[in-house]
Amino acid sequence: MSKIKVIPCSGIGKVLGLLARESVLMVTQEKCPNESETLCLAHVVTGDDEVVAKIKGQPCITMDGCPKYCAKKSVEAAGGEVDHSYKVPDFMKPHRGEEHGTGTYLTADGWKFAEELSDILAKTVIEMQEEVR
Amino acid sequence: MIVNKIGVIGCSGEECLGGTISRLVVRKMLEELRPGMTTSLCLPLFIAGDGGEREFAEKYPTISIDGCSKCCAKRAIEKYSNAVAGSIDISEIIGEDKALEKPLSTRNLTAEHLEFVKQTAEKTCEIYDGISS
Repeated sequence: MSKIKVIPCSGIGKVLGLLARESVLMVTQEKCPNESETLCLAHVVTGDDEVVAKIKGQPCITMDGCPKYCAKKSVEAAGGEVDHSYKVPDFMKPHRGEEHGTGTYLTADGWKFAEELSDILAKTVIEMQEEVR
Repeated sequence: MIVNKIGVIGCSGEECLGGTISRLVVRKMLEELRPGMTTSLCLPLFIAGDGGEREFAEKYPTISIDGCSKCCAKRAIEKYSNAVAGSIDISEIIGEDKALEKPLSTRNLTAEHLEFVKQTAEKTCEIYDGISS
């Protein structure tokens, strides 16, 4: 089976985009490197034939930083199958009052939160792989 | 075209080091080098947004900062909005092999990576000042 595509928004304006990006890098590089991979969202946005061929009909997970759902919408526009769409603010409740950093860097609390997000993504990747088997 | 604001838009690519550098250069322009006059937009908002992003790039000059020679940011801006006023391909500054190395978490940045950010930001400032003067 091909690897599950895990794609963050990587939003540049706020820490939420960086949290999405770092959590996805943790999953695709450290936690599930054999089961998952990421794709450049900017490449997806171009709609190039090359990227459409890579993503069309493929199982995808998106992690967005805000309710505009840029990653989800862009992946869908390129033909990807978004099986699970997450957004960072949905997991913020237990972290109220914490400072997570900015769009440039994460604080210690920010890294802890990114770890938590990556655990959610990793669990989803494994579940999706098991469903296919 | 109005030049009291300049949009600096990075690819933030998730598949290579150049994408990480592009993101950090945009943040450096916003926070340190040209604060106040610089605006950034999340690239996927050109697809997912309500149109404000496309209108911004039609009214104001933009500089695209791409991590590799695919130049996704430049092509996406021009596809959905207007010609860019300037563009940077990071692989031309740091070399293609380096630019295409694995994407990097911000917690693994080295002095070499920060030097790449500095060099690319200097080039961006040259283009920026050429547009605004």
